[in-house]
Amino acid sequence: MKILLMGHPNVGKSVFFNRLTGAKVFESNYPGTTVDFMKGWMCIEGEDVELIDVPGTFSLEPKDKAEEVSVEMLEENRDCVVVCVLDASKIERGLYLALEIIERGYPVVVALNMWDVAEDKNIRIDVAKLERILGVPVVPTTAVSGEGFKELVSKLKASAPVKIEEVIKNAGGGESAAVSG
Amino acid sequence: MQEVVKVPQSVDERWDLIDKISRQTVEFGAYKHTLKDAIAELTVKPLTGIPVAIAVIYGFWSFFCDFAGTLFTDGFMVRLFDEHWLPWLQSVFPGGLGNPLYALMIDAGHMEDGVLVASDNCFEAFGVLTSGLFVPFGVVLWAVLAFYLIFAILEDIGYLPRLAVLVDTVLHKIGLHGYAIVPTFISLGCNVPGVTAVRPLETRKQRFMMITLLSVFVPCGAQIGIMQDLIPELMGWIFLTLVIGYLGFGFILNKIVPGKSPEIIMDVPPYQMPTFKNVMSKLWIRTSKFLLVAVPFVLLGCLIVGLMYLTGAMDWLVAVFGPLLMGWFGVPSETVAPLIAGFLRKDLAVGMIGGLMEQGIMTTFQVFTSVVLLCIYFPCLATFALMIKEENWKELLGSLASLVAMVFIYGGLIHLVGIMLGVA
Amino acid sequence: MNEMEEKFGQIYFAVLGAVALAFGIAELIASAGGGFTWGILDSSGAANPMFLSWRAIILLSVGFFYLSSVKDFAEVHQLAKAVMASIMIWIVAGMAIWSMIAGSIPGEETWFNSLEGFLASYAPPYSPEMFLLPFSLVILYYIKKEGETATE
Repeated sequence: MKILLMGHPNVGKSVFFNRLTGAKVFESNYPGTTVDFMKGWMCIEGEDVELIDVPGTFSLEPKDKAEEVSVEMLEENRDCVVVCVLDASKIERGLYLALEIIERGYPVVVALNMWDVAEDKNIRIDVAKLERILGVPVVPTTAVSGEGFKELVSKLKASAPVKIEEVIKNAGGGESAAVSG
Repeated sequence: MQEVVKVPQSVDERWDLIDKISRQTVEFGAYKHTLKDAIAELTVKPLTGIPVAIAVIYGFWSFFCDFAGTLFTDGFMVRLFDEHWLPWLQSVFPGGLGNPLYALMIDAGHMEDGVLVASDNCFEAFGVLTSGLFVPFGVVLWAVLAFYLIFAILEDIGYLPRLAVLVDTVLHKIGLHGYAIVPTFISLGCNVPGVTAVRPLETRKQRFMMITLLSVFVPCGAQIGIMQDLIPELMGWIFLTLVIGYLGFGFILNKIVPGKSPEIIMDVPPYQMPTFKNVMSKLWIRTSKFLLVAVPFVLLGCLIVGLMYLTGAMDWLVAVFGPLLMGWFGVPSETVAPLIAGFLRKDLAVGMIGGLMEQGIMTTFQVFTSVVLLCIYFPCLATFALMIKEENWKELLGSLASLVAMVFIYGGLIHLVGIMLGVA
Repeated sequence: MNEMEEKFGQIYFAVLGAVALAFGIAELIASAGGGFTWGILDSSGAANPMFLSWRAIILLSVGFFYLSSVKDFAEVHQLAKAVMASIMIWIVAGMAIWSMIAGSIPGEETWFNSLEGFLASYAPPYSPEMFLLPFSLVILYYIKKEGETATE
């Protein structure tokens, strides 16, 4: 099993990566480029799992070399699970990337990182509902304090690809949160 | 909208979908950070978290000293055992000074100007019924009780996992994780449950490293309790020496032991008030487990050491190992006896060093060196038995080999530093 | 909290922070020079010299926590620093009191202490954190205020 950590730049992805991996971390260079990425290992239910910190990218339509590498890495690892790290205080932007990855048929776990910051900005996210619409596990995390990571890891094995049609159906007409409760 | 959905979607369709989703799930202005959230944040950010940790550990330590030392051991137990129990036994037990059974059970006495003198305290007497009961019930029980009480409270408040997150980055440098503080802290109570707490570690390498470091560099509550009673002024130095050893050898082990060291992810629950019932049940389970393990070994230790003195085996060992101890570690040959007793119980052995100290055989630096040596040279029998169970033979050999290497390197180093400072 | 209360809190905790800082520096000097007793202020470290420098570090941190909380005091994260500083004082002072209690119960020659001996254990001089303790309790008022605004 292999896990790719994807997300925008500046969503606390490197701290996130450090929380998940051990002391032995390798920095590698993507062949033929100047782009570096981190690689480490974690252990889920006794199984060795490789974890790759993919360079930050805004979307899967690459605009620079680093983003190109990110897309290539995703395509090279067809059998991986993608942990999509979102900034919980700006989930719209992160969801764009998450949806793109879901559309390509990868099993995804969405981490709403910087949850503390979102709380601080008076933002509340209905995690259960988001999970229901997306059809993939959604976990609030705070990388600096380690909150949520135990839950995240426990949900990695449960993730499975979902069809985007399902997501569209679940999202329905999009009545506002205030109305639906 | 009802007809076939185009996949992949266009950029606009995607944004449209996101808009729908976020309208249903995101609420602005609905949540505000509470004071509790803000405090939780302060305790994990290094700049503020480290001073808080320093204060918490200060509280931990001073509670421990006053509860176990001032109140119970010095306040009541020393009087009970030295002024009532020991004299009473000395008067009613058949035989008397010089009788082998009396020496084993009550008091072997010691030579003063060629005359055999009776002991006047339970550290020196070294009989099964005197030291054998005084060490576990007079000193160690209170130390372990105080220790596990605070530990349970910190655990239930939710501070412990946050402390683990705080030290995670530092411990990564030596190939360990924040989680390592859990077995380390438990070991400060008793190494036996400490070694058991190593089980959640994922790989053999981690378990091996952790067990080795724990059994070598972490003194147990029993030992700490006795040390605090006998040599409080040296505690700071002893702990400093052990911490340096722990980190230093952790670093080295991480380099030479093959294998991976994946992160241990801990659950970080929100802060909460600990419940009395929970804390008490944890305290009871851990303390009773400790008593079950410790008491038989202390009694056995007294018996074996007493027998070795009686049969002359101890004199032989002192003669054989004395020169090595004197030459390499700079401690007097009499230290052989506590080191042997240390195989069974470290607390008992520290008590013996205290006895030697009171007879004026050792200098302060020698006391310091021998206490540190005692700590690191071999795990007590109970811990060792558990190591046999937890490790395969290859790892066990590895543990023992690294143990021997560490003792000689570190013990010699301490001696060397002592010589350079002119105190050895 | 209203503006009045915020203003008062700012001045109050700035002063308390400065005092804590001063105590911290005094204890640092004391730990280097073997300790001192000055009137009812006990910084001798007689019980355990190791504790003296340890406490100095804590009191210095307490001082910094209080002082850094002053700006924008009503904001919850800023207030939290003052609360944390107070909790740290409670830990250290609580342990000083606990130490007195533990020392007051057993007697010198008898099992239990005499009444005079018992009471004498609580007489001054006190260590610095004991003087900070009553003043740090003011934070409780602000915690209560914060709780009220949060539930509004």
